[in-house]
Amino acid sequence: MMENAWIIPLFPLLSFLFLILFGKRLKEASAFIGILLTLASLVYSLLVLFERLTAPTYKAEGVWLTIGDVQLTAGFEVNQLNALMLVIVSLVSFLVHTYSKGYMNGDDRFPVFYAYLGLFTFAMLGLVISPNLLQTYFFWELVGLGSFLLIGFYFYKEEAKAAAKKAFIMTRIGDVGLLIGMILLFWQVGSFEYDEIFAAAEAGSISAAMITLTAILIFVGAIGKSGQFPLHTWLPDAMEGPTPVSALIHAATMVAAGVYLVAALFPLFTASETALMTVAVIGAFTAIFAASIGLVQKDIKRVLAYSTVSQLGYMMLALGSAGYVAGVFHLMTHAFFKALLFLAAGSVIHAVHTQNIEHMGGLWKKLRLTGPLFLIGTLAISGVPLFSGFFSKDEILIAAWAHGNTVLFWLAVIAAFFTAFYMFRLFFMVFAGEARSDMKNVHESPSVMTMPMVVLGVLAVVAGYVNTPWFGTFLGDWLVEGNHSLGHGHIEGPAWIMAVATIVSLLGIFLAWLMYGKRSLSRDWLTSRAPLTYNLLYNKYYIDEFYQLTVVNGAKFFSAFLRFLEVFLIEGIVNGAAGIASSLGKLGSKFQNGQIQTYGTAAFVGLAILVVIYAVTGGYLK
Amino acid sequence: MSAVPIQAYLALALILFCIGLYGALTKRNTVIVLISIELMLNAVNINLVAFSKFGVAPSITGQVFALFAIAVAAAEAAVGLAILIALYRNRKTINMDEMDTMKH
Amino acid sequence: MSFEYFLSLLVFSPLAGILVLSFLPKTQESLIKMVGFLATLPALILSLIAYFQYRAGASLESLSEKVSWIQFGYSEQLGNLFSIDYELGLDGFSLIMLVLTAVLSTLAAIASIHIKKEWKGYFMLFLLLEVGMLGVFAAENLILFFIFFEITLIPTFFLIGKWGYFEKEKAAYSFLIYNGLGSAVLLIVIMVLFARTGTSNIDALMAAMSADNPQLVAPITENMKMGMLIALLIAFGVKLPIFPLHSWMVRVHVQAPPSIVMLHAGVLLKIGAFGLIRFGMGIFPDQFQSLAVLLAVLGVVNLLYGAFLAFVQTDFKMVLAYSSISHMGIVLIGVGALNEAGIQGAIFQVVSHGLIAALLFFLVGVFYERVQTSNIQNLGGMAKGMPITAGFLLAGAMASLGLPGMSGFVSEFMAFLGLFKEMPVLAAVGTIGIIMTAVYLLRAVLGITYGQAHRDFAGVTDMKKFEFVPVLVLVGLIVLIGVYPSVLSEPLTSTLETIMLGIGG
Repeated sequence: MMENAWIIPLFPLLSFLFLILFGKRLKEASAFIGILLTLASLVYSLLVLFERLTAPTYKAEGVWLTIGDVQLTAGFEVNQLNALMLVIVSLVSFLVHTYSKGYMNGDDRFPVFYAYLGLFTFAMLGLVISPNLLQTYFFWELVGLGSFLLIGFYFYKEEAKAAAKKAFIMTRIGDVGLLIGMILLFWQVGSFEYDEIFAAAEAGSISAAMITLTAILIFVGAIGKSGQFPLHTWLPDAMEGPTPVSALIHAATMVAAGVYLVAALFPLFTASETALMTVAVIGAFTAIFAASIGLVQKDIKRVLAYSTVSQLGYMMLALGSAGYVAGVFHLMTHAFFKALLFLAAGSVIHAVHTQNIEHMGGLWKKLRLTGPLFLIGTLAISGVPLFSGFFSKDEILIAAWAHGNTVLFWLAVIAAFFTAFYMFRLFFMVFAGEARSDMKNVHESPSVMTMPMVVLGVLAVVAGYVNTPWFGTFLGDWLVEGNHSLGHGHIEGPAWIMAVATIVSLLGIFLAWLMYGKRSLSRDWLTSRAPLTYNLLYNKYYIDEFYQLTVVNGAKFFSAFLRFLEVFLIEGIVNGAAGIASSLGKLGSKFQNGQIQTYGTAAFVGLAILVVIYAVTGGYLK
Repeated sequence: MSAVPIQAYLALALILFCIGLYGALTKRNTVIVLISIELMLNAVNINLVAFSKFGVAPSITGQVFALFAIAVAAAEAAVGLAILIALYRNRKTINMDEMDTMKH
Repeated sequence: MSFEYFLSLLVFSPLAGILVLSFLPKTQESLIKMVGFLATLPALILSLIAYFQYRAGASLESLSEKVSWIQFGYSEQLGNLFSIDYELGLDGFSLIMLVLTAVLSTLAAIASIHIKKEWKGYFMLFLLLEVGMLGVFAAENLILFFIFFEITLIPTFFLIGKWGYFEKEKAAYSFLIYNGLGSAVLLIVIMVLFARTGTSNIDALMAAMSADNPQLVAPITENMKMGMLIALLIAFGVKLPIFPLHSWMVRVHVQAPPSIVMLHAGVLLKIGAFGLIRFGMGIFPDQFQSLAVLLAVLGVVNLLYGAFLAFVQTDFKMVLAYSSISHMGIVLIGVGALNEAGIQGAIFQVVSHGLIAALLFFLVGVFYERVQTSNIQNLGGMAKGMPITAGFLLAGAMASLGLPGMSGFVSEFMAFLGLFKEMPVLAAVGTIGIIMTAVYLLRAVLGITYGQAHRDFAGVTDMKKFEFVPVLVLVGLIVLIGVYPSVLSEPLTSTLETIMLGIGG
């Protein structure tokens, strides 16, 4: 099976090509093509994963491009991480394909939507089986394209247009970092292959400063893609896309690409303590930073978006604390429960046609299936024991503690408290309380939408049990098997960490219940006590405004300055040269006044002068 | 009959040429200019004839050239006057200063 | 590929079309268009035959032609001093340029259907232009090269001046003045070389300049070589164009008819890059090395200058014009890197930008045909009425901003790969250009296709059948090169080896 793993990304590509060509004629039937082909990918990915559980890593490559003596290769590799990612991506993609059949029903551009989903899935699957950095970059950019197209799916909305543009440009800023890092690394190692890079890093043939520099540059790429501070602003805006897209891209797959990249290049990062520290600090800061913004947002998808940013920060913190397994584990559990949350949010939006949570309430009784599923997701993300998020978050905290990042550890704990609070704030505001009068005919979504949610709900509960301190760390042991540079499968940590994590998340839930469930605490507590803080949080620390003021206006100003140069200096020089030529001509034409006698006089005077010269000098040719 | 020295001929020709040149360059009336040109041509003729008699290698060629020049001058005068008449019919003037339409 | 005058036939085949056209009455619109289109086909077919035969292993040398033309001057030791021959020949690079020219000519002939008046004169000039372009790439001899180079100028002047938009005359004049000055400088270089070496054959010149003790008619000093290279840089820099010699090109791109801009951006600008690589790098390798840093800096300046200016333009054609300047910066970056990756990247960029610019300008023509404007502020929401055109426009923009899987990425990547090896800091500055390219292209393309329409575009129809042909061919080629770059890199191998040997790297 593994020898033919290259075929996995080709199914969605086929779906894309087929639907873009014939989608117009197929109309609603397009969904079946997309669903079937992603199902094929999923089945194949599962088979590959099962085979990889026992078989060794498989890698195949061919020459893609020759530059002088250097041969750049393309191919695929199935190692533990890749096999796992294949399943996560194709599973979430399949479920989203299915869900979209109900959610996008009736849209004019239904086939186009499925075509874009196919393109995106293709890119993401291609990304996770890349054996070298160049190919990773190749698909990395295609993932960006897929995301751009899907965010801008409602192209006639100005907000969607702006969000799509922003997503593409912000991630491209990160991509340039990746590109530079990759090229610098290439000239050090002489190859883009992961294996050779790791070998060179281990053998010490690259200077320490160079490793740090390239690792950080590559991490810049991950910052862009995974919405880490300071390139995070595109991710919440990307919620302009259809909700299934948010589930697929901005929860489970694309934003995970940054984490995947750091994980795939983990041996390079571990070779430089500075690079690891950078990753950990950025991750921890993003985790708490985004969580604090999430506390006060009013749009259901935006709250989830900030929680995604925050959770991705967690994963980065884990990787930066040398917790390879913890990062990848959280990547997996997060993919499931965040996809679930987004799909459930989509189901809510589908039912009530608004995204503002202040206009919702009392939906628990109306959405009998969505409600409990949303609750499962919320419990999982909050880190309540026995749910998947609990185990992976615990691993991360242990990794941070074990690596000696005490400050970052406590930041992460506070972020966990925030997460539990804002997620349950969201839950209570949407599902608890009085039903609003204008939401009389709210009804549950069709089963084509609820079934994928049920699958994810089950996974959100059980996915954690593949790697627990109680029943064994299968996932961790398998992930690091045969590769000592990835660290240990399980890091032992003090038992109180688990207790602290549990208490903190329960505290968060309790506080949210007091404020939004039982209402014994005023909702406006923060608004009235600290309006400045509230405004700062609600406006996302004014980061967007700051960028607008500095970067965007800076670029505009610089462009205007160059245009000024162009118009006045360059055109000026050109026009000046032309002007000098024509004014010389004008001056010359003054002498041509049409008076033949003047000409004759001039000729005679000239002759006379020549004769005088001749007489004085005695001739030119002596 | 005492022989007139060549210097006398040349001086005459020079004076005649200068008068002609002065007239050609300064007179406004086109007819006068044409006459002045004739004077210059005749000065040349005098030179030609003088050198055919007193030159280093005297020969008849100079006189032949003088005859040529007279014929050409006559033709030139005819053409010049014809142009002048045509111009006068169109512009009602024979003033040189006003004949500047070919400038630029 | 076996018969004797293959290349001559290829180069001069469009003349047959001119001959036929001269017998056609002016009023036969569709017949004239058909003849104009058909006349571009022989060159296309022949160049493709040459390409595929070469890929199949045939040698390009068997294609060379040589006929004695002019001889003069005689000396006892050297025999005939000066000889100019009619020499045509190909190497990998010129073969690729020839194929590019033939393909774009055919597609531009299809795009010429949008031309509104005087088709007969238009197509005669168009075909003459094609002869010039084909000849430039097939000439093995500097004087012949110059003659073909001049042949391209005259038809282009009239094509812009007569069939262009509002300020067409001004554009045509500035085209002619700039390029005329450029070719005057070029002529000086060619004449100095010819007078000093007695030959104008390119290979013979390369050999003479690199030999330790060459047999020359008159000596060439090092300063003289440097002077000639700088003159070449100016001559081809006008064509490319290199900042600050670019202002004519912006005007031409905005004012010329789309079909001519396709050829202009696609092929004519590339003559500058072709000349710089083949003559500059080939004949003066040592001097070129000392100018490499300057070229790389100019490349980065071009890249950023074009990108930032494109960012503030309101007319989509202006955006594309400045984007061309920006993309030619990448050619210079690759050339300035002066290693395999860089030079290969530069050549890739030449081809890739040729295809992408042709695609984008054709699409601008399609839009202009329907809404009579290319101003971004007057457009918007075009994806609603013209989804297919909008989709292709987006695809073109993606190719232009270097999305992997399309040709722009491969060339951009290789050029930067090359520069990062030699001058990493400069290259890092240059990468700002990659971001800016995305910024200005998305601003422009999304401004046209996404969002709300600024006025009612009711009754605007999507692409017609014939309009699909150029678009599909171009997109196909762009993706082909992007996914399978060996189609270009393999024919280039021997050319690159020759160049690298000259540089000594």
